[in-house]
Amino acid sequence: MFNVNFTGEFVAFFIFSVLIISGAVLMVSFTKVVHMVVSLAAVFIGIAGMFVLLQAEFLAFVQVLIYAGAVSILMIFGIMMTKHQDAEADRSRPLHETLTAIGALALFGILFYAIRQSEFPEPEQPLSQATDNTMEIGKLLFTNYVVPFELVSVLLTVAFIGAIVLAKKEAD
Amino acid sequence: MGSWLDETLTWGNALLFFLWGVILLAIVLGFVTYAIFFERKVIGWMQFRIGPNRVGPWGLLQSVADIAKLLMKEDTIPRKADRALFILAPALAYVPAFAVLAVIPYTQKLYFADINVGLLYYVALSGISTIAIVLGGWSSNNKYALLGGMRSAAQMISYEVPLVISVVGVIMMSGSLNLRTIADQQGDWFWQWNFLPQIIGFVVFVIAAVSELNRTPFDLPEAESELVAGYHVEYSGFRFAFFMLTEYVYVYAIAALTTVLFLGGWHAPFPFLDWVPGIIWFLLKFSFIVFFLFWIRATLPRIRIDQLMGLGWKVLLPVAILNVFLTAVYLELFVK
Repeated sequence: MFNVNFTGEFVAFFIFSVLIISGAVLMVSFTKVVHMVVSLAAVFIGIAGMFVLLQAEFLAFVQVLIYAGAVSILMIFGIMMTKHQDAEADRSRPLHETLTAIGALALFGILFYAIRQSEFPEPEQPLSQATDNTMEIGKLLFTNYVVPFELVSVLLTVAFIGAIVLAKKEAD
Repeated sequence: MGSWLDETLTWGNALLFFLWGVILLAIVLGFVTYAIFFERKVIGWMQFRIGPNRVGPWGLLQSVADIAKLLMKEDTIPRKADRALFILAPALAYVPAFAVLAVIPYTQKLYFADINVGLLYYVALSGISTIAIVLGGWSSNNKYALLGGMRSAAQMISYEVPLVISVVGVIMMSGSLNLRTIADQQGDWFWQWNFLPQIIGFVVFVIAAVSELNRTPFDLPEAESELVAGYHVEYSGFRFAFFMLTEYVYVYAIAALTTVLFLGGWHAPFPFLDWVPGIIWFLLKFSFIVFFLFWIRATLPRIRIDQLMGLGWKVLLPVAILNVFLTAVYLELFVK
């Protein structure tokens, strides 16, 4: 079960896993909101590293650009307006915590079982590793998935206009 | 250098990579030291002053002395600051600044990493420095620092959009995000380099790049006369030096990126000048852009915050999108 060989890839996988898991745990356990956002950004960067290991460079750097860059800054921007020394008050609720722990463990068990049980079939035409995966993504987006792609852009435009309307109402 | 990356990772290779990293770091630190010196000299010359001339011959050791002073200064952390983030912020600002240098090709053979999505890598990583600046401003627990951090975030996000869209034209013309391919595909004559066919994109890129660097006329985040020093008011000693270093490393990165994307990288301006090594041409173009940045700093006044945002969103962004559109029409009609 644990027959792994220590290649560069394994070391990198290990480092990124530690980054993701510790970031996620710290995100939950920190009390100051800004600290939470920073650990969340660490998780995003770790996930981008995983994408690099899976040879999806385009996805990896888009992940860094959108999540680690834009989304984190947006959240920090919002939080910066709040009080500086504000820390969440910790009330102890033993029953609630126990139930949550059981739920989380059950979820982990289900996921672990599902992952162990599922088989990953080889794709019919394996993409060779040398191909430019940016170009492949672009081709797929504008051929097979052109309708969903356009729908997403319409959705984003609607959200964008909605934001402008809301801001305009506030300003007047 | 590229062939080493494909070999299996042994201790010897790892040591080699580490040494190359150290060499690049030394070069960058040397560049920063003398860029600051020449900036002061050039601006002094443009303003009919002499500039630094006391330490060492012609003042050459002035920046070295300044750095020594910064490193020996007391390291102060305000009592009400958020200690962890205050310490983390300068490092978080510097790491991406140095990491983006990995994808820049200097000549056909001299490059560090050959990534398929090199340009995207640059843009993505440089965004992380913004987080560090905001965190530095916020964790200082100082009104001026917070204002500087907010301004900086607003400015860097606003100008990153036209910066990225302005290079889309270049990407469309070369059909690749790989910086080596982009530099390689520009022609032998200087009018075949991207800056003339992509003149609109080039102008937008230069303006947005100056703004991303937080330099005059867009140096609102640290406007001394309004905000004392912006996001790094509370920083002193080597932490302040790190923020300074980040800024100048980005000057290096942007100058190199402009050279690669628009000024033909290592190509000679005329084919009959090919006997001069490519690295010389690269350095000449690179130095010209660095000089250009100093020149506009000495010449232009600072603009207001509302003008800054208006310029970014109402002028540069539409122009950059128009450039993408024009390039697409041109490629469709005349090239295919």
